[in-house]
Amino acid sequence: MELSVFDLSKYLGVVPETIERWVRQGKLPVSQKGVNYRFHTSELQKWAGKHNIYLNLSDKRKPEKGRESIIPLSCAVENGGINFDVQGNDVKSVLEASIKRISKIPDDFKQDLLDRLVKREQALSTGIGNGIAIPHPREQLRYLHDSIVSISFLVNPVDYKALDSKPVSILFFILCPALKIHLHLLSALSFCLRNNKFQGFLNSRPDPDQLIEKIEILQKTNPI
Amino acid sequence: MFIIKNRYITIYHRLFHLDDRLLLIVAGSIAGICSGLAAVALRLSLESVLEWLHPLRHYWWAFTLPAIGALLSSLYLEKITREGAGHGVPEVIYSVSRYGGLLRFRSSYSRLISSFLTIGSGGSAGPEAPVVMSGSAIGSNIAKFLGLNDRQRITLVGCGTAGAIASIFNAPIAGLVFSIEVLLGEWKFVNIIPIAIAAVAGAQVSQAIIPEQVLFIHQPFDIMFADIPASLGLAILTALVSVLFTKSLRQVGNLAKKNSLPLWGRAIIGGSCVGLIGISMPLVLGEGYHFIQSMISETFSMGIFLTFVAIFAKIFATAMTLGWGGSGGIFAPCLLIGSLTGIVFHKTLLLFFPSVGCASQGAYALLGMTGLISGVMQAPLTGIFLIVEITGGYEAILPLILVSSISSTMSQYLEPASFYFKELMERGQFMRPGTDARILSDLSLKELIDINYVKVSENMVFRDFINILKRSEQNLFPVIEDETRVYKGVIQISVIRKYALDPDMYDMVFLNQIMDTEVITVSLEDDLQDVLDMMDSHNMDNIPVVENERFIGMIAKTKILDLYRRELIVQTDIK
Repeated sequence: MELSVFDLSKYLGVVPETIERWVRQGKLPVSQKGVNYRFHTSELQKWAGKHNIYLNLSDKRKPEKGRESIIPLSCAVENGGINFDVQGNDVKSVLEASIKRISKIPDDFKQDLLDRLVKREQALSTGIGNGIAIPHPREQLRYLHDSIVSISFLVNPVDYKALDSKPVSILFFILCPALKIHLHLLSALSFCLRNNKFQGFLNSRPDPDQLIEKIEILQKTNPI
Repeated sequence: MFIIKNRYITIYHRLFHLDDRLLLIVAGSIAGICSGLAAVALRLSLESVLEWLHPLRHYWWAFTLPAIGALLSSLYLEKITREGAGHGVPEVIYSVSRYGGLLRFRSSYSRLISSFLTIGSGGSAGPEAPVVMSGSAIGSNIAKFLGLNDRQRITLVGCGTAGAIASIFNAPIAGLVFSIEVLLGEWKFVNIIPIAIAAVAGAQVSQAIIPEQVLFIHQPFDIMFADIPASLGLAILTALVSVLFTKSLRQVGNLAKKNSLPLWGRAIIGGSCVGLIGISMPLVLGEGYHFIQSMISETFSMGIFLTFVAIFAKIFATAMTLGWGGSGGIFAPCLLIGSLTGIVFHKTLLLFFPSVGCASQGAYALLGMTGLISGVMQAPLTGIFLIVEITGGYEAILPLILVSSISSTMSQYLEPASFYFKELMERGQFMRPGTDARILSDLSLKELIDINYVKVSENMVFRDFINILKRSEQNLFPVIEDETRVYKGVIQISVIRKYALDPDMYDMVFLNQIMDTEVITVSLEDDLQDVLDMMDSHNMDNIPVVENERFIGMIAKTKILDLYRRELIVQTDIK
């Protein structure tokens, strides 16, 4: 196989000017001189081995990792589902009642998840104000296949020790198999919740379809 | 001893402190004399043991003699001195490049004894590598006694080597060239003078003790015009034989390592093989100086076919001796194989062109020797100067240079690493002065590590972290567990930047949720070369160092470059 100066510069991580200088100084084995230099891969491998240079000719650059696994918030909400009229009078009972209704969580793990969520709330409340809380565990949940965001509308507002001390009536559960997606969803959610119109819309207890549609429109305006 | 040392310290401060060149010359000549004595001692004892064993050669069980010798030699090296078998030259080269030429005192006599047992009993090996090992160990220990630094010690190791080679061949320039070309690998002015003086001292010692027995008697040769094209052909032949020799040495050695026989079993098998070949072809036994001399002085009487077979017999016998537990070098076998090759070529030449006017058979034996030494050791200058000194004149210099350069170039093409360097290269220990590998091996991670890193707890809230971030210039924050202080991961500012600019996130996230746990870590013992490879293959600019699950510090590429450049300046810019 033959390579051009440009290809080789990519593999070696230097600019084409450097390659040209090396050829001029006789430091690189070149198979065709003239206007366009050409390099034989077998000769290059030999040269790299001799000079102890890391040269991987099989792939140009590793693909940016993690990009493909990030899903938009609206899909995560679709995965998690929206539950109305969740019963309960304190933090623990509303969390328990909500978890029961999230179908994506295997039954065996529900108690464990509840413990984790309660522990997280004890460490620092996830109530972010305006009657909204974002309960989530601190660890990644490896048993989940997809990241889910589940919304619970409570019957009775609950004292959640939120930042603004207002009782909480809407819960956004963020449950992810990996921490990177968790951050992404958290950031996307906080962007939506910053929007005052969206807050009002939420308080009107909208249809699930309408809600997801609204989130979809909102996340398109998110610069990140 | 103590008084001498005190005296020395006084003299050192009065006299040598001004200029260490004077010190190196004095110490180098002492090293040359000592190693010259060692070489002469080995040569004389080999000669006497050969004479002593000569009557026994006629018995049917004579073939077991090399086996007994190899057995004793391998047991001696393994059980008493605890040093690996082999010829020792790669060990000296490695020590020069890695440990400033530090060698153990027992190396100065262990190889002499083991190779005396091997060669004296008839094993096919040369006494030169053992005397090189012992000479360099003598030089190294003189340097240790005088309390010299690495650079000066390396020079003295070179002095010991040069003295030993000069003494055994009575060839001072060959000693100097071998020492610098093969062992030290750099032609520096500060090295050359002490080594030259040591070489002369070594040669003088051997002349003083055995004046009438010069190893090879000087022979004048008349080189004709027809010898020039003929030497081209000889060069190609010697290159092929060199590669064959190098390859079979390694193959047979690997074969010995693969089987599960105990060490003494291997030595007995190897020695018996050599002994059996020796019954029909006594030429392969021992170091063979006697036969080389007869070939040079044209009293050698074997036919063309037998000589041709003898080349392979000698190659095989040497490989069996050295690969299967015996101890000795390849210098003398190279000379013998080279002269056999030269004679075969000369005889073939006369067979096809009976009337051609070319030099004598002895001249071709010498040319063949040059070709083999240049090819096997890939040290063309050593080959040229050794033969020039043996012949005692420059009449043959033109064909010598031709054969030597063509043979070494061609064998380098076929077998890129010389016999001495191949082992080191395979182990990644081949580090010539001023090369990248050498500089990387000299720099340790301890010198490069930056330990001034603020560590953060994995239970810290993002908001607190942002406050630390505001006052810090760090781009990476190691995350540790609260009580155990175990390393958990790294926060990379470049990755979390978008979240750091979003105040809504500040109270929602703990640090264990934003840290990167998949970052590759290294430990302090890792080689810098490996660390750099890891950084290259993972596209990292910084790599955390973790020892026993504790975060120690960071290695940054910028810091490596900084120190690398300084190291390069220091290593290459000595006057």
